[in-house]
Amino acid sequence: MIRGLSRIVPNVVGGVCLAIGFLIVQPAAAEEKPKAEAPAETQASSAVSAPLVKGALPADDPTAAIWSSAPPATFPMSPQVHWPTRNLEATVKDMIVRGLHDGTNVAILLEYADPTEDPDDAAAVQFMVGDKKAHFAHGQPMAQVEGGPVNIWYWKNKDGKGVDMNAKGFGTLKIQDHQDVKAKGAYANGRWKVVFSRPLDTGHPEEDTLITTAGFINIGFAAWDGKKDPSSGELKEKGSQKAVSSWWYFRAEAPPNYTGYYYAAIAVGLALGFQFVLIRKLKKGQSA
Amino acid sequence: MGPIIKLILLNVVTYLILKFVLPNVPGSAPLPASLIFLYLLLTTSGFLILATVSAESKEEFWGPIQRFLVGDGIGGLQALRWVVLILFPLLVGWQTYNSTAVSDAPPGENRTIHPAPPGEYAGLSNPVPKTPETIQQGKGFYAAFCSPCHGGNFDGKGSAARGFNPPPANFADPTTIAMLQESYLFWRIKKGGVGLPIEGMPWKSAMPRWELELPDEWIWKIIMGEYDGAHQSPRTWE
Repeated sequence: MIRGLSRIVPNVVGGVCLAIGFLIVQPAAAEEKPKAEAPAETQASSAVSAPLVKGALPADDPTAAIWSSAPPATFPMSPQVHWPTRNLEATVKDMIVRGLHDGTNVAILLEYADPTEDPDDAAAVQFMVGDKKAHFAHGQPMAQVEGGPVNIWYWKNKDGKGVDMNAKGFGTLKIQDHQDVKAKGAYANGRWKVVFSRPLDTGHPEEDTLITTAGFINIGFAAWDGKKDPSSGELKEKGSQKAVSSWWYFRAEAPPNYTGYYYAAIAVGLALGFQFVLIRKLKKGQSA
Repeated sequence: MGPIIKLILLNVVTYLILKFVLPNVPGSAPLPASLIFLYLLLTTSGFLILATVSAESKEEFWGPIQRFLVGDGIGGLQALRWVVLILFPLLVGWQTYNSTAVSDAPPGENRTIHPAPPGEYAGLSNPVPKTPETIQQGKGFYAAFCSPCHGGNFDGKGSAARGFNPPPANFADPTTIAMLQESYLFWRIKKGGVGLPIEGMPWKSAMPRWELELPDEWIWKIIMGEYDGAHQSPRTWE
């Protein structure tokens, strides 16, 4: 009986060993899949990743040297056609976006081409608030999905400050009671650089988007060319007539995480131990 | 030939057939990697059962493996044995690292491009008679309201399209309106992006809700103009 067992055990162990080998090879083969299923759209960027900085955040300096350490993401812009009053052409064609955070505050830099500096030039960043999805056009009501509000950070050249707002559909824009957003613009060489900053968590989760290092959140952009028509004196773009982006992704990067290496080291140790025990058992079996 | 070599050969042949031969059989499709893996596991299990059916065949199969692992009398294979003993833990460590590493990619999205319309739209037929005049009127409305995004050439490449994700539909593509009935287009034009069900991700679509701006008759004419301009015909049940 014991003799029989001692013959079977090594075989079972060997089988397990082979199966483990298979299991290790299989995920490696499966990794090819996501690449093949990648979207066909040739988008320049789909996400802004804001690195963690040590030291001061350039919260009110759109031209600070440290911005060059943040990877730029470029998003195409369209005129706002979803809702009347629409515009079929807009000045801003591309929005270059960078982000930085220091663990407490986040700063987002928008950069775009605008041939003229005008008092009514304006830009905005938009987020979803809470868990509900919000339509990218000001959180427009959706027929079959219960949508949530959007949080809009707005800056206008002549006001020189950031405005923290909410909306749930066109015509519902409301300035918040608690203003947490700062903004500052700098115009040079036909380009605007506008920096927005805010605490990652404002303590108002009903109105403000909560930015954590846990993952990606939705972000959108808008820009208004405040140029006036020379004959009529009318603003070229105002209100719902603007350049807009679709929803894209934003994340505040987490501090470097080495747990993956720890787990890998533990796994290597376990595998070595397994081999050691297995070979010892086999040797004992042979000499017996 | 030893049974271990046989097992390896069997797996290699099975893999080659599943990966390269089977997808070329008419009516078949490429197999997902997980399914191929399952078949290889089955092949191996079957072989193991066969190999352990008698004491002799068992010894024939496991004996070499055991001798290799123990390192007794394997001569020149001693170096290979050490390579295996070092590589195996490293492989386990690598897989563990890969499975725990945080992904740098934004979340993937599975958006249904043509979700089911609400029941009241199914089977609606175009009430506008199809004449050269009505088609021409439809093309005129299309040029005014639709072409900024969907393009003057019905290819989804209008001047206002560049920023939108998902991009405006390309009607010349045989997988868009040619696969759909006129009633489906009527629903999509009337209710717009915000009218999509959740699987269509309505929060991302820029398509206006035209029922607020255009009478139904204009929408039906636009549909005729779209099919004619894009050289497509609506899908029918015949």
